[in-house]
Amino acid sequence: MARRFRSLEFILGAALTLLVVVLALLTPWLFPDGGEAMDLSARLIAPGLNWAHPLGTDPIGRDLLARVVVGARVSLTVGVVSVAGGMVMGTLAGLFAGFYRGIWDMVLMRWADVQLALPFILVAITFTAILGADEWKMIGFMAITQWVQYARLIRSSVLTLREREFVQAAEAIGVRNIAILFRHILPNAIGPVVVLMTLNIANNILLESSLTFLGAGIDPMIPSWGGMLSDGRSYLQTAWWVGVFPGLAIMLTVLGLNLLGDWLRDFLDPNAKATS
Amino acid sequence: MRLSRNWLLALPLAALLAGSPAQAAGTLTIAQAQDPNNWDPIATFLISWGSVAGNFFEGLVIRDESLKLQPGLATSWEVLEGGKRLRFHLRQGVTFHDGEPFNAEAVKFTIDRLLGPEGKKGPQQSNYTTIGSVEIVDAATVDIVMKQPDPVMLTKLAGYGAMMVPPKYVTEKGSAAFALAPVGTGPFKVVDYQPKVSVTLEPYAGYWGVKPKLDKVVYRFIVEPDTQLAELQAGRIDIASNLSVAATGIVSKSADLKLESITGPTVVVVRLNTAHGVTTDVRVRKAMIMAVDRDAIVKQILMGQAETVTSFQSSLSFGFDPKQAAVPFDPAGAKKLLAEAKVPAGTAVALDFPSNNTTFREVAQAMAGYMSAVGLKVAVRPSEQNVYTNDIVPNGKTGEMFQFGWGGWTFDYDNTAYLMYHTGEHWNPYDKDATLDGMLDAQRLIADPKQREAKLQDIAHYVADHALEIPMYNLNTIYGLNKRVKGFVPPPDNRIRLQTTTVE
Repeated sequence: MARRFRSLEFILGAALTLLVVVLALLTPWLFPDGGEAMDLSARLIAPGLNWAHPLGTDPIGRDLLARVVVGARVSLTVGVVSVAGGMVMGTLAGLFAGFYRGIWDMVLMRWADVQLALPFILVAITFTAILGADEWKMIGFMAITQWVQYARLIRSSVLTLREREFVQAAEAIGVRNIAILFRHILPNAIGPVVVLMTLNIANNILLESSLTFLGAGIDPMIPSWGGMLSDGRSYLQTAWWVGVFPGLAIMLTVLGLNLLGDWLRDFLDPNAKATS
Repeated sequence: MRLSRNWLLALPLAALLAGSPAQAAGTLTIAQAQDPNNWDPIATFLISWGSVAGNFFEGLVIRDESLKLQPGLATSWEVLEGGKRLRFHLRQGVTFHDGEPFNAEAVKFTIDRLLGPEGKKGPQQSNYTTIGSVEIVDAATVDIVMKQPDPVMLTKLAGYGAMMVPPKYVTEKGSAAFALAPVGTGPFKVVDYQPKVSVTLEPYAGYWGVKPKLDKVVYRFIVEPDTQLAELQAGRIDIASNLSVAATGIVSKSADLKLESITGPTVVVVRLNTAHGVTTDVRVRKAMIMAVDRDAIVKQILMGQAETVTSFQSSLSFGFDPKQAAVPFDPAGAKKLLAEAKVPAGTAVALDFPSNNTTFREVAQAMAGYMSAVGLKVAVRPSEQNVYTNDIVPNGKTGEMFQFGWGGWTFDYDNTAYLMYHTGEHWNPYDKDATLDGMLDAQRLIADPKQREAKLQDIAHYVADHALEIPMYNLNTIYGLNKRVKGFVPPPDNRIRLQTTTVE
């Protein structure tokens, strides 16, 4: 067991993820101004020139270090909450579809097919153009579009699990369906879902960044990595640091979560490594 | 030759082929952000139309780079009956690019089309409603009979809706075909148009005036300012017409490139919602103006590539009052006014703007920063540009503040003030002020320029007193040029004129 925790994947993944989470939790104390303090006379200071701004400043003179760190809060909130929402919806739908089959299964799965057929970014841009965008709308939208992935995953596990002896035994002694679903089937089906969640948190952080970069996301005043990338785009030739640091932050966070997800998959299902 | 080239351009690769080969001598390539989509003069109000179409269309009068009126297709004109009749003596021997002669019939056809059902479909007709009819005196003389004197009409005849179109060609091909293959009398003719990609012009051999020296002009439509910069640096375009402020430093430092910057036609203001929210209180609106250090924004963020304004017009505009003073930056005074208006600290307000405007994105954030210093919490809300201009602004769905840029190409304050402040106008979702309506209507009837100018200045003062908007700046048009381009005069109205331009 201990050997599993000594893998490079786990150490690096856990360290990066932990670093981001801890920084995000500490921001109210580290940067009480929320990275919003601006000073037009100190715009575009290069990194390392001024100790008050170790990573330099952005085009309206805000401290980049503060904004990158505070940006972790937005990115993690969007990533974690949207994934949790999608997971809960998808898991319930998958459980019911797989266990009861019949008309429920048909309706839910065909609905899922329809949702999978729509290109996400296009739908997202249309959605934000009509309803406007803020953090919570974006989270809700991601959850609503992503439940499908969890539902399919859970459903396929449930289909095999419900034929297994221990489930049939439970049925035979008269355990109620709800109890069978949540006590016997769910714990056995949840492994792949946890892996998918770690990967999706990373995906949704990227998605938030892309949408904000495209101008269909979060208020530019709230530091978010996508918004900062967007701010930095016109300055890539003159002031690289405006775009590069938020870009690095995205990269490291997503890398950390992906490594952790990979490791988790091996951990939960050691056979996968050998066969895949 | 023509056929085969068109066939080649129809291939998907054409987009790449059209732009990439090294330029032949005498070919000038210009990048501009927007494709106007429709070249029909009566169907557009876009600056991006004028910057191209000014080269192949002409009006009875021409406005030069210093915004002075010059003889165009009319060699001279008389103002008769106290401005109720404008008589034009037409230039002889002028032909359209398809060989059709230009004469009094063409003038009548053009103006009738503009004022008729075809013109009604487009946005230009409303600019010319003071025209009653066109009377042909003889083949070389036409009278434009006015319903009422219109002091700006001569200027309006130099552009857009009043550009002369060929009667036979338009009648035979129809307006839809004309919109894609336009024919005018100008120094250049359109030889190829690929929507969203490029439009190619060649000199018209039968042109009546100074013949262009260039062999070919290619306008490429490149939306992203940063892509324009990259293409300019790579030498694939000669003139970039929509550089971002951030790019100015790079261009001016480069050995091969130079920067031409000139006062542009577009003035940017932040308009205030006088119908809803805290901004219904004039004290709050005044406080917002006082809270923002606009000089610092122009100097720092816009790197001096703009000029602060005191009203919704540039210093070139008719109706500009050089004595009108700017509201000084005064956060303490702003706080006091907000306290008087009983606006608690931390009150939330919203600032809307179109998301493709990267420059204003920075300005908006700076404004939000200044306003938070006086206790207003600003949500900065970018919206997709089409939604913004077609829905959010005209239908009054903005927050307390919204960005608005307007370029009156006539450089007459009426063209902005009337559309922005008069009750019921398309671009005026909130203001309803009978006094202001009265002033706006009255100035349109004044024939004497001095009196009308005074009235327009009164309007500008009235708007400032009632704090209907935060006057921001008049943004320069920034051209990036390859140094091999000679004789390019940057025009203040964005209408690039290329008769004297050459490429080495």
